[in-house]
Amino acid sequence: MIPTIILAVCVMLALAGVFAVLLGWANVRWHVHVPEQLQHLMDAMPGANCGGCGYIGCSEYAEAIFHEGAAPDKCSVGGAAVAERIAEIMGVEHVAGVPSRPVVLCGADFDERLKRPEYRGEPTCAAAVMVAGVQGCTFGCLGLGDCVEVCKFDAIHIINGLAVVDYEKCVGCGACVRACPRNIIQMVPFHADAMAVVACSNLDPGKVVRGVCTVGCIGCGICAKLDDIFTIADNNASIDYDRYQADTDLSAAIEKCPRKIIRMEGK
Amino acid sequence: MTVADTIKIPGKRSFARGIHPSDKKSLCAGSPVEILPTPKSVLIPLSQHIGAPCAAIVKPRTEIAIGDVVGDSEAFVSAPVHASVGGTTSAATVTTLPNGQHVGAIPITVAEEQPLASQGLWDDIYGGNWPTDSIESLDPKQITQAVRTGGIVGMGGATFPTHVKFARNPDKPIDTLIINGCECEPYLTSDHRLMLEAPEPIIAGALLSARAAGAERIIVAIEDNKPDAIEKMQSAATGTGIDIVGVHTLYPMGGEKQLIVAVMAREVPTGGLPLDVGVVVVNVATAAAVARAVLRNKPLTHRIISVTGEGVATPKNILAPVGTSYADIIEHCGGLTDSADRVISGGPMMGFALGDLDVPVTKGTSGIVVLTEAQTRKSAETACVRCGRCVSACPLGLVPTRIALAARNKDWEMAKRYYITACVECGCCAYVCPAEIPLVQLIRAGKAGLPRD
Repeated sequence: MIPTIILAVCVMLALAGVFAVLLGWANVRWHVHVPEQLQHLMDAMPGANCGGCGYIGCSEYAEAIFHEGAAPDKCSVGGAAVAERIAEIMGVEHVAGVPSRPVVLCGADFDERLKRPEYRGEPTCAAAVMVAGVQGCTFGCLGLGDCVEVCKFDAIHIINGLAVVDYEKCVGCGACVRACPRNIIQMVPFHADAMAVVACSNLDPGKVVRGVCTVGCIGCGICAKLDDIFTIADNNASIDYDRYQADTDLSAAIEKCPRKIIRMEGK
Repeated sequence: MTVADTIKIPGKRSFARGIHPSDKKSLCAGSPVEILPTPKSVLIPLSQHIGAPCAAIVKPRTEIAIGDVVGDSEAFVSAPVHASVGGTTSAATVTTLPNGQHVGAIPITVAEEQPLASQGLWDDIYGGNWPTDSIESLDPKQITQAVRTGGIVGMGGATFPTHVKFARNPDKPIDTLIINGCECEPYLTSDHRLMLEAPEPIIAGALLSARAAGAERIIVAIEDNKPDAIEKMQSAATGTGIDIVGVHTLYPMGGEKQLIVAVMAREVPTGGLPLDVGVVVVNVATAAAVARAVLRNKPLTHRIISVTGEGVATPKNILAPVGTSYADIIEHCGGLTDSADRVISGGPMMGFALGDLDVPVTKGTSGIVVLTEAQTRKSAETACVRCGRCVSACPLGLVPTRIALAARNKDWEMAKRYYITACVECGCCAYVCPAEIPLVQLIRAGKAGLPRD
């Protein structure tokens, strides 16, 4: 009589053998042909599946490049290196672009924002934004971290009630831009390591802004007088990033801004 | 109830599910409407309705009289706003209304001499005679136009422009007008007081509204916790052919869809309007405003507000001009008590908690309710135990827990499959939830977060 344990091992081995043959045969029989070029593209992807390129994941982007000729520079995680590799595989010329990074268009931390009653509702920005008077400023950061939750790279944090981007970690996938219910995170082409930003989105008249924030833009226009890269619209200053160059120096405007709301963001 | 009554009013006076919150109306149901002394300044929001906001048509630093147009819009779904006091305008500013609308607003510094104040104001708005014999000869289009010009919107709180409800659609004829005097929100008594103190303009407004919308039958529905109002309205309606019906006291009876089921036994389809089942519903205060706009040619400038709750020193019903700040009104009622914790614009079920009292009253402000710390205290939220209480409370027959948790997890497919957009946000589910899950709040935020497609 064969001991039970030996019998069991033999049965398992036999089964393994049968399935190995079956699987091997199935692999040959139903083989999916992946073109070599597409395989190389997939291998070149960083595999973060963040969706920053606008496709569902890395492999879909690879297929879009292969089948539809999508642009090689859409992967924000891989940056220039991946774009060059893709261009090389596809045999197209790659012109190095400028990476985009998010900037938070609110510069007031918890203590700088006025009229902040206690909020006891659902602790998400999407819920708080529906409560009138959750804070005085109806444009500014709510500080409950919907952007932090969607960031796969741990690159945005709430520091004293204000979302702050960690540019060392940020890859520019844009998930935070889509998550913000107040639409105050904007993608900006980073021509330099650090860019000047008017960190305020408030479109109300200056008098109203003064009542709700100690730093918000009041649309005084001093920056626009110093440099025509600034434009004032709806009581709010903004920078024309199409004209921003790597050597653009806006330190005079930063210095003169009475609210100190033009700030350098970046590394 | 006789057989003849049943044929006339087929509804069972009630609807399925719903809740019975403590109504707390005794706090100020007995206090007659007090006329607020004219405030020193008012702030007229340029959008006090659902629809396109108005553009300001007055210049800063100009003299303006009560009833003058302050802002208007070309859009169909919109209503003009008027000066509620005489005075001098200042430069336009912005304000955030309790419902979250961030809108432009015109400040008016009130002149010392007001042509209408105290009893004279009351007589001009609700007092005097309301002749109803000439209504049959009026052109429906003229009535609708006068309602538009008068800036009348639904005063029950939803602020939908009333003239839009009256615009006739040949494909969807209206047979019944329901005048909504339910006031199912706890605490609020403004409609109750109006029915007691000024039933005549409501009746006149009901006849005018029916004429404008083409309704043959008029039913005034009042919750049966207000027998005195039912009696008063019945005697005012004698000889007009208007039926006064007492419906069960059940929240949210004042919701259009629930009221139509209770009175007419008709079900408004999901995503549909009362129009689809041949009904128009108009609040009692709106009806009175319609009468004033058409018969007296005066726009909507004032409204009755219940200032109530355990957190306010002396609860009162106040007649206040639109644009008065909440702070001024609360001040007039003796201010907040020490235990006051939360100020709500509207009723406690569907109203909005305020972060700042320096906001103006609008045409839709039916009440200011101040709750105490003991009332707003909540225990920590726990997991859903699938008890199904929210399901047995939801007047629309939805599954609130499924929708709310799907919305929290941003599972929009699931939320849509369970009809998130059908929710009317009455709050019954959150009221009954033993796990303290903020169901209605999650659903509300979820609706805003639904991806557009």
